[in-house]
Amino acid sequence: MHRTDGNTAEIELLYRQHGPALLLFAQAVTGERGRAQDAVHQVFLKLLEKGSLSQVVDKKAYLFACVRNAALNDSKLRDRNAPLDPDSAWFSPPDRDYAGEQNLRRALEALPSDQRQVMVLHIWGELTFSQISDLLDLSSNTVASRYRYALAKLRDSMFAKENSCANS
Amino acid sequence: MPTLDDERFEAYLKQFRPLLPEPLPAVALSRGARRTFALGAWAAAAVAALVLVALTLHIRTNRARVTEIVGNVGNPEHFQESQPLTMRSANALMAKAPSFKAMVDDMAFRSQTVPLPKGKHSVVAVLGKEKIKL
Repeated sequence: MHRTDGNTAEIELLYRQHGPALLLFAQAVTGERGRAQDAVHQVFLKLLEKGSLSQVVDKKAYLFACVRNAALNDSKLRDRNAPLDPDSAWFSPPDRDYAGEQNLRRALEALPSDQRQVMVLHIWGELTFSQISDLLDLSSNTVASRYRYALAKLRDSMFAKENSCANS
Repeated sequence: MPTLDDERFEAYLKQFRPLLPEPLPAVALSRGARRTFALGAWAAAAVAALVLVALTLHIRTNRARVTEIVGNVGNPEHFQESQPLTMRSANALMAKAPSFKAMVDDMAFRSQTVPLPKGKHSVVAVLGKEKIKL
């Protein structure tokens, strides 16, 4: 084992900084919180065991790529259309807006997996379209168009539900 | 509710914070278990040192006792803690004793200096009092 305290501290810091977004992204890929948590842990445990990130230029994008690979390595997820777990919360809602959290989660669930991943990476992962295009091996234009579609669908889905609730 | 433009809708979405992941097992290990391991190692080392010291003392004490006993085995004083028999004391005994036999008996049993417990008698002393014709 070649890790040093400095490397461990850096990896712990990265886990604290990006852990929530990485977990959300893994949930968007796997559909299950437990498997998502396993994928994130697997990535960080490997990092702790094996080495440092000193040679990685874009650490955040690298972590998202690792988590995506770990999540997709599960053979059950190769079809990439795994149903999302409807019961587990994904977000800590503002002002205890749990209905809003459920609404958002269902709207995300209704998105196609590729659009959902782009949405999560851009909004909560705070990755640029360029970073996402590298990560998903897509052109920036494709990423941007998927994001626009996803955003529009998400907004329509969320506010259509809220308006229908308000009208009823 | 009015429809939000893209920028405001993105800001609205960002208000929902992703949940915190569970702590890394290795991170917990690196902090808590490392401390626990160090404490455990110190405690084990202290116990081992105490056991070693106790064993050393025990062995040394036993060895000294055995040496003392072995040293005493060949020492006549161990058995005859009164004055040693010398020519002078033999002559003195012969002068006092009524007969030669009485003097020899006295010499033979004079090492009986250890007081016996009450109600017990020395076998040698009892036999010495009996009149046996040789």
